[in-house]
Amino acid sequence: MPRSSVLLARVKDAVVANWVKLVLGLVSVSIFIASWAIASLYLSESGSSLSPFVPGPKLVAEAFLSSFVDSVPGLTGIRMGDMIASSMIRIFWGFLLAMLVALPMGLAMGSFKTLESMGKPLVEVFRPIPPLAWVPVFLMVFKSFWGPIGIVFLGVFFPILLNVIFGVKSVDQRLVDAARTLGAKRSAVFTKVVMPAIVPYMMTGIKVGLGVGWMCIVAAEMMPIQSGTGVGYYVWLSADYSRYDFMYATMLVIGLLSILTTGVAELIEKRVSRWMGIR
Amino acid sequence: MDGDPMSACIEIRGLSKVFASGKRRVVALADMGLEVADGEFVCLLGPSGCGKTTVLRIIAGLEPATGGEVLVHGKKVESAGPERGMVFQEFALFPWRTVRRNIEFGLEIRGVSEKARHELSSGLIELVGLKGFEDAHPDELSGGMRQRVGIARALANEPTVLLMDEPFGSLDAQTRNLMQKELLRIWSATRKTVLFVTHSVDEAVFLADRIVVMTARPGKVREIIPVSLPRPRDRTSAEFIAVRGRVLAELDEEFEKAREKELSPD
Repeated sequence: MPRSSVLLARVKDAVVANWVKLVLGLVSVSIFIASWAIASLYLSESGSSLSPFVPGPKLVAEAFLSSFVDSVPGLTGIRMGDMIASSMIRIFWGFLLAMLVALPMGLAMGSFKTLESMGKPLVEVFRPIPPLAWVPVFLMVFKSFWGPIGIVFLGVFFPILLNVIFGVKSVDQRLVDAARTLGAKRSAVFTKVVMPAIVPYMMTGIKVGLGVGWMCIVAAEMMPIQSGTGVGYYVWLSADYSRYDFMYATMLVIGLLSILTTGVAELIEKRVSRWMGIR
Repeated sequence: MDGDPMSACIEIRGLSKVFASGKRRVVALADMGLEVADGEFVCLLGPSGCGKTTVLRIIAGLEPATGGEVLVHGKKVESAGPERGMVFQEFALFPWRTVRRNIEFGLEIRGVSEKARHELSSGLIELVGLKGFEDAHPDELSGGMRQRVGIARALANEPTVLLMDEPFGSLDAQTRNLMQKELLRIWSATRKTVLFVTHSVDEAVFLADRIVVMTARPGKVREIIPVSLPRPRDRTSAEFIAVRGRVLAELDEEFEKAREKELSPD
């Protein structure tokens, strides 16, 4: 297939171009894994009470693989795939709702001084509160599905809102002038100049929000009695069953998922920028 | 062009503009008057800060006048409108739009059908010499090409007046000379009334039917110098140099005044 061979060639080019970085990266990762293995071995040999908390890399790797097929030993029906799916669904909803509220709000607050003056005190009061402070009440009121979604919502909402407001205010006045001399009235200036101009700012908000979103979801799912699903729940559950190998494996999964979603966001951002002719 | 019975396209009467920020008041324009005939090419020339750009922005309707009025074809200017096209020094192209879609912006606003838009923009792309670049974005173009888009975009609305605010100010010397020739070609093809702000004497003498030399701040008309040399003009001809010398002499006095004012506290 020509397509896959093109892809292969591209991967090869990338590897060749970055091989020094690649080798250096591999070196540091190897050193880390080796020290971890040695530390784990030392703790178990010396019969330290810390030993159970530091399973070796091999155990964690095995747990990582088996977590996708089996559940934590002693529990049935809890698989990594389902946990990932349920966390992703929560992130998705939290994100979608935050966008639906933050975008129009940001546009309105950025466009009208009165609305900004009205909204700003509220934003300033609620923004510094860590979303996690809301976990207890959200879980009690919104229960295990919508509760964590609400936490994600709060985490994602403010970065998007603030970036959109900033974006509206940063619109190049010369472009507004140009549009006006071309016959654009207020509404046309808004849809044809302001809206496209804020897209990059919105993308920045989304990227920041994604990072915050993962932190929120994991912590929110750690209220196990209420939650019952998700990667955060899996971390807590594994620890509760003293299966630290599974716990670390899940933490690894969370890290990888976060990288994956950020990567997707960056890809979308690049596509959008290219499509809009902004580089 | 003196005494020509052509109808007035732009009439500026007793125009004044005061910028006030806090306690500071800057009188940019004081009792400025000017008439520009239909189809005429007029250059506004003056020391920097003399309010040339402000005059243009008031005519465009982007800035309210403090006193006096501007009439375009007998109609008082109250706000921006598509019959007065503007070309900006920094191009002010929409970076997310292709060349074609930048040019079609005004047509979109007016609700022209896609087919008619395409036809009109194709004609303009041809006129300004951008064929083959229809789908390029502004950041892929050189400065000269960007300003071609700026001119075509302003022309798309079929304005009666073309207001140009130092449109070639950020171009290198070669491109600038080329664009001046191109502008004259486009002007003779479309016969728009052009009001062109510049601080280059050479550019003004090369382009204009009349050169309006403005005073240092507060700006008003100091002198109007008609340029009756046939086009295309030869920058090295004795006549060209003579006109240039006359304009420079007028301007130098104003530069001197502007400098004195800057040095002395007010």
